[in-house]
Amino acid sequence: MRALDDLQRFFGLLADEITYVGQYLRRRRGVLPGEIAHQLYAMGYRTFPIICLITFLIGVTISLTSAAQLKMFGADIYLADLIGIAMINELVPLMAGIMLAGKIGASITAEIATMKVTEELDALKTMGIVPEKFLMVPRLVAITLVVPLLVALADFVGIIGGVLVAKVALGTPAPVFVREVLAAVTLHDFLIGMGKTMVFGWAVVVAAGYKGFFMDRGAEGVGKATTESVVLSIALIIGLDCVFAFILY
Amino acid sequence: MDIISVRDLDVGYGRTAVLRGMNFAIAQGRITAVVGASGSGKSTLLKTLIGLLSPLAGEVRLSGERIDFDSERSLRTLYRRIGVLYQNSALLGALTLVENVALPIRMHHPEWPREKERAAVRAMLGRVGLHDCEAKYPFELSGGMRKRAALARAMILEPDLILCDEPSAGLDPITSAGLDELLIELRTGHGVTFVVVTHELRSIARIADRVLVLRDGRIHYDGDYADLLRSDDPYLREFFLRKSDHDH
Repeated sequence: MRALDDLQRFFGLLADEITYVGQYLRRRRGVLPGEIAHQLYAMGYRTFPIICLITFLIGVTISLTSAAQLKMFGADIYLADLIGIAMINELVPLMAGIMLAGKIGASITAEIATMKVTEELDALKTMGIVPEKFLMVPRLVAITLVVPLLVALADFVGIIGGVLVAKVALGTPAPVFVREVLAAVTLHDFLIGMGKTMVFGWAVVVAAGYKGFFMDRGAEGVGKATTESVVLSIALIIGLDCVFAFILY
Repeated sequence: MDIISVRDLDVGYGRTAVLRGMNFAIAQGRITAVVGASGSGKSTLLKTLIGLLSPLAGEVRLSGERIDFDSERSLRTLYRRIGVLYQNSALLGALTLVENVALPIRMHHPEWPREKERAAVRAMLGRVGLHDCEAKYPFELSGGMRKRAALARAMILEPDLILCDEPSAGLDPITSAGLDELLIELRTGHGVTFVVVTHELRSIARIADRVLVLRDGRIHYDGDYADLLRSDDPYLREFFLRKSDHDH
């Protein structure tokens, strides 16, 4: 019964947020001026180094483990195909989503939950401001704008990891590797990866908001809500990724 | 004229009523203190008057107009006409003092030119004695200054009624007395109406034109503070005289 209530509240919040973003795009009201720029900075500038580092390391690791197997069959050049398709279609969206959950989702939940404890949400309501709109719309707009840039950077850095391993472990020249990646990966793959990451980004922000707005009162509740937000976001990302796999392949 | 009137009000959580059969009216330009032991229903009453809790039964009227707690439009009207001073100020930590006080203007009057908005905010901060703290963030202010800033934010749209939740909580006696003087000045000089939920007997003695004492979800006493102190009612004597000894 409680799970049903939780589901109802989660999808209720999601529906509200879609409406609020639509309202904002039409009327540009209900959100603090400059807040979207602030969120773009927080979500983009502050997260791209860690996302790039993680995707680079994953590119290197996958390349190293695959290179040895491919070399045995004399299929060295297919490392480029493997890395290109795996990074762009699957690993970058998944890892970017998980990093967003840990870095952005946790901070959104902690901020909203703290605002609930300190009565700031009540204060917003009694000023006639809808907290679910005021706090969430800038974050949802920012994540929508920031994801394409993050994904493009992460794809590039992940493939660079593959290029390095191919050069060092297999002796494949970088131009050959890159040409093979470009032949294997289409624009369609890139757009699918970006679309998936955008859906994961929205899932992270809505899950973070849900855990923040519906937390139990008290300082202890803030920590609990933050942990639950990360767990929920990661579960949602993996679940949605599975759904995408069924639909797309 | 009554700013707010409450008739046969029952409020609760779930189906359990915490407040039962409340009837009272608050006249314009007066300070009404709501007092009671923990669990007596003070916070529940405050939350209902500010539209955060819907009544189980009865009605609340603002300047004669019935508040429909299920209607967003009715609640929006309520929010435009009241200001709330929260116990821990509830200023937004990410915004400066000017931005906090300007927030209701930006949300309700986005058409105002920046100069007009800035002038209104400056005038309000001056009124509460914070003209030199405009660019500071809430965490850079003392508890008393935060309360004053929150009061400025509550008053910026010149509401009919300001509701204060434990305004003296966490303040030293001198700062608390200063805040009381500010409330009195705003009532006397600008005709602002206040409903103040408080435990502080010294504060009640200083500011209250009228005292509502709640006990077990009902109004136990409604009248002047001076009359209350002369009352023979055993509960009032025990609550106020014991508390008064404790406060001193």
